[in-house]
Amino acid sequence: MNCVELQQSLAENEGANNWEQQAHLRSCPACAALVKELSVIIAAAPRLLEDEEPSPRVWNSIEATLRAEGLIRPQRIHRPLIPSFSERWGMARWLVPAAATLLVLVGVFVNQRSLPTKVSELREPVSVASTIPTGLNDNDLLQEIANQSPELRQQYEENLRHVNEYIEDALRNVQANPGDEEARRSLDEAFQEKAMLFDLAMDRSLQ
Amino acid sequence: MTRGTVRAFVVGTMMVGTLLAETHKEFRYNVGARAGISVNNTYGSISVKPSSGNVVIVNAVLHSNDVEVDGTQNGNRVNIESHLHPGATAESGRVDYELLVPADASVMLHSSTGPLRAEKLHGDVTLEGSNASVDVRDISDAHVHVKTLNGPVTLSNVRDGHVEVDSLSGDVTLNGVTGQFVQVMSTSGKINYIGDFGNSGEYRLTSHSGDIEAIIPETTSADVSARSVRGQVQDEVPLQPKSHDWFYLKQGSAFAGTVGKAASSVVLRTFSGKIHLKKRQNKDKTK
Repeated sequence: MNCVELQQSLAENEGANNWEQQAHLRSCPACAALVKELSVIIAAAPRLLEDEEPSPRVWNSIEATLRAEGLIRPQRIHRPLIPSFSERWGMARWLVPAAATLLVLVGVFVNQRSLPTKVSELREPVSVASTIPTGLNDNDLLQEIANQSPELRQQYEENLRHVNEYIEDALRNVQANPGDEEARRSLDEAFQEKAMLFDLAMDRSLQ
Repeated sequence: MTRGTVRAFVVGTMMVGTLLAETHKEFRYNVGARAGISVNNTYGSISVKPSSGNVVIVNAVLHSNDVEVDGTQNGNRVNIESHLHPGATAESGRVDYELLVPADASVMLHSSTGPLRAEKLHGDVTLEGSNASVDVRDISDAHVHVKTLNGPVTLSNVRDGHVEVDSLSGDVTLNGVTGQFVQVMSTSGKINYIGDFGNSGEYRLTSHSGDIEAIIPETTSADVSARSVRGQVQDEVPLQPKSHDWFYLKQGSAFAGTVGKAASSVVLRTFSGKIHLKKRQNKDKTK
């Protein structure tokens, strides 16, 4: 699998979880970095939905048009990990390939060093405490866990609390030291931790 | 019949029932060099060791009829998957795998509960599991990627690897782990490194609230930078000061310097955990 094929597979499927994708990602730092960025976007996507979620009719119409044009194919059949969760996040997942294209086109990915600064500038007027802990639909995740595997709920609550504290600390650090590359890297790592939490929760824990 | 005899009979019947419910399955595949082996197991352990020759042998113990195991081979790729039937629980859906694979195979293991174990391989190893404990040992010239939420991670004697460990709250222990790139990320887990950081490479150990401890021998050659935003740092190794540090070294919360020829770069970061750099005593020797 080469870089083009990987990006196509990212657009067609919902992640980079199959064997060929993983093999390519291990050997290609550029694609690995892209997927890492996408993970952050995926994690942040639900917040976008909360802020400005268009009518479901809009999404349906876009999907119908894309199918009619043959630009997308029906999803391959696979075991649903968390059916209701997937449905709820379905819209967010549409944002991933679109966001990837945008990232590539505007060169944000190439100049990713400047991205965290911009993110911090955007977030400065907003209360970190009020935004971050709820920003990734923690409650949705916890609700799904309560429905599917109630015995895991406390564990996930604990993990979410820790990772949200991490993100808050990292954001404060970036805001206090906007030129500090190390601070930005910490923020990136904090988001990666949260993305991993959601990733593992969806992929494995609740089957 | 005495009460004790009845009890023994009941317990014996239950044990026999359990044994009868267990099913053993074996799969064998002939593969070429650098084969890809993937095991996806919802509940249960996976252990991988090297086989002799280009053969993959999979031994699976199914704990009930609530789960079945499928194995497929496509070219040089082997996929093993546990399929749960409706109503399966963590106990009834459990499958324990033992695999023998060619030492140069690339291995991907998934299990929510684990434990996951891989040893004596020199192909890439990827292990992932929410609560799974992970034990990787005697690996060389390979990528080692580990992801867990709560499970503890132990890597021992991993040489010349590209190592990435991400454990949200599980403790991570690296014992004799070296390579061009070694990264451990954690949110609340502790990180312990025991070893000499090799003779080149980048080592980055970060945790939000977990403590970080590195125990190094006198022969270590590394450029060390440590900082805890709110926690304390403790350096028991005489580091040579650097002419210029790119961040402010606040006494008690950061230190930096070199030891030996500074061949490897070592970065230790935490927000509220403690960082402790120790010199290895004889009793700590592990290799």
